[in-house]
Amino acid sequence: MSNDMDNFIGLSAVLTGFNQSVLAPDLDPVDIKSEYLPFFTQKIAQESGDPALVGQIFDKYAALQAQNLTPQQIGQAMLDPSNGPAFVLACRKLIFMWYAGAWPTIIPATASTQATTVSDLISENAYTSSLVWQVMQSHPMGDSNYRYGYWTKPPAALSDYTGN
Amino acid sequence: MKLPTLFSPNRQKLGLFLIIGCTSLFSLAQALDAGKTNVTSTAPLPTLTPQIPLEIKVTGSKPTLASLQHDFDVFSWQSFIALNWPANADGTPNTTITIGQAINSPVVWESYRESRTIFLPGGAAPAPWGQDSPLPAVCKNIDPKRLPPGTMHLTQVGKTATVLDESSEPFKTGPLIDQNGQYARFAILTNETMFNYIDSNKLYSRSGQKTFNADADFPSSNTTSQQVGSIMIKTAWVKMGGKYDPSKFYTTYALVYDNPAEEPGVKPSCVLTQVGLVGFHIGHKTADEPQWVWSTFEHVDNVPTAGQKPTQAAYNFFDASCKTCKVNEPPARPWNPGTPYTKPSQVERVIAITPDAQQLNNSYHQALAAAVPGSVWLNYELVSTQWPTNAKSPTDPTGVPAPSFLANTTLETYIQGHVKQTSSSCMACHNNATTTNGNAADFTYLLQRAQ
Repeated sequence: MSNDMDNFIGLSAVLTGFNQSVLAPDLDPVDIKSEYLPFFTQKIAQESGDPALVGQIFDKYAALQAQNLTPQQIGQAMLDPSNGPAFVLACRKLIFMWYAGAWPTIIPATASTQATTVSDLISENAYTSSLVWQVMQSHPMGDSNYRYGYWTKPPAALSDYTGN
Repeated sequence: MKLPTLFSPNRQKLGLFLIIGCTSLFSLAQALDAGKTNVTSTAPLPTLTPQIPLEIKVTGSKPTLASLQHDFDVFSWQSFIALNWPANADGTPNTTITIGQAINSPVVWESYRESRTIFLPGGAAPAPWGQDSPLPAVCKNIDPKRLPPGTMHLTQVGKTATVLDESSEPFKTGPLIDQNGQYARFAILTNETMFNYIDSNKLYSRSGQKTFNADADFPSSNTTSQQVGSIMIKTAWVKMGGKYDPSKFYTTYALVYDNPAEEPGVKPSCVLTQVGLVGFHIGHKTADEPQWVWSTFEHVDNVPTAGQKPTQAAYNFFDASCKTCKVNEPPARPWNPGTPYTKPSQVERVIAITPDAQQLNNSYHQALAAAVPGSVWLNYELVSTQWPTNAKSPTDPTGVPAPSFLANTTLETYIQGHVKQTSSSCMACHNNATTTNGNAADFTYLLQRAQ
């Protein structure tokens, strides 16, 4: 029996390449997932105009996951164009949210302004929790838990950061 | 999924030890038999024991963040009880009496070594454990033999005052001014295990640290050998008198020393006076928490909580009648503890004590009252405990602390809040501590005091 949070974390792990234990540790004092899920749900409903879309995404993920597919297969199925542009765009925004701690506003190339993607930081916690720093094996600018002199030593292995 | 280190088999052994260790002459049952108090709850009350806990007892088969926070808070209260147990002359707990009795005699932690006696001018070797250290020169007119037992030497007006000259401290906290217009005073002490590590490795001097030239690694408590590991105590005090009733505080006598090294313009002076305890930090390095366990207690009358209606008639660091006082702002410079009167600080607690911690406080207060009706320790409460949720994290040397932020209103008065790298977090801050030659200092800034 899965719920929205389980599906949200499971889907996020598949799409980001991070282990669930990193995205949602059992002991999670930061608890960024509880900030992201309602934010994601509200934003997708608002931008797509379809309040049921997030539920459809989670249902699709749950169905794929129940088939014992590999994360790679689930990810490909979730991003398949046959799901529809709004569905796929929502999944891509989910990836962006986790990696950047921000929410993207995608401006179509057909718009009169220059095509670009801007993003709004979701919160201070989102900034410091964003996965881009983990992939860099580094730390957010202005926030480091590393000890003095860490720059003289090799960082931990990438797998330590991703959990995979 | 990786299991957090908290669920390690080693930790499971601790339950048995603590159950055994909690056997005490001063159990609740005995207190109740003696008819010493009116207990309002039917739930069993905590046992008061002079045993310093060596590890956290994890309760429940599926620990959660909340349940573990409770377990760590219990560890904190057990530590507080043991450290404030009446002491024998050698500093060991006097097991013939209980906490709250013999209130005018020193308690266990008062036998610990004050930092002033460890980091001496010129990097001189400190006196061996158990031996007296010379008084500050300015106190030489006071006969050491006439000092009351347990007399402390309060030299600090800022938590990290002498460290602030060092490059590793990213902020400078201001002085805390009490309701009598006097500077609160602070002291930092280490237990024998921590002192011995500093002493044997000559970390009390810059030259010794240069020779050592490695990251410090203080001994942890060991549940197998039953050895108490490294413990640091930080205390905050106000002078008794005026608006402060000594009967409501744990009091001692102290040589209150205005130290010219702290701030420009401070003239040396030394006064023997009665002081009352208002803040109490415990840092304890345990085997499963190499980032240490950080417990903090305060006097119950210290401050109200921001956004909540004041519940006390008067506070130690808050004046409800002052409508123009700026909250949580340090006094204007210059800072000089010798100033006869300074406008009192107006302090509020930014992060409220959790309901669970409040309930635990009530529980321990009932046990303390059962042991000694009207015990002075009823005036102290746990604020919270900070602990590592992932102590062995390969990517975060702070071990992902919970709660993320923790402050004592008397020791981190002006840096309370929720802003990372700015607001008070014991582990995030102390993780930055280094020796004088740039090696990691194992979560203590004390080594920066070496000369």
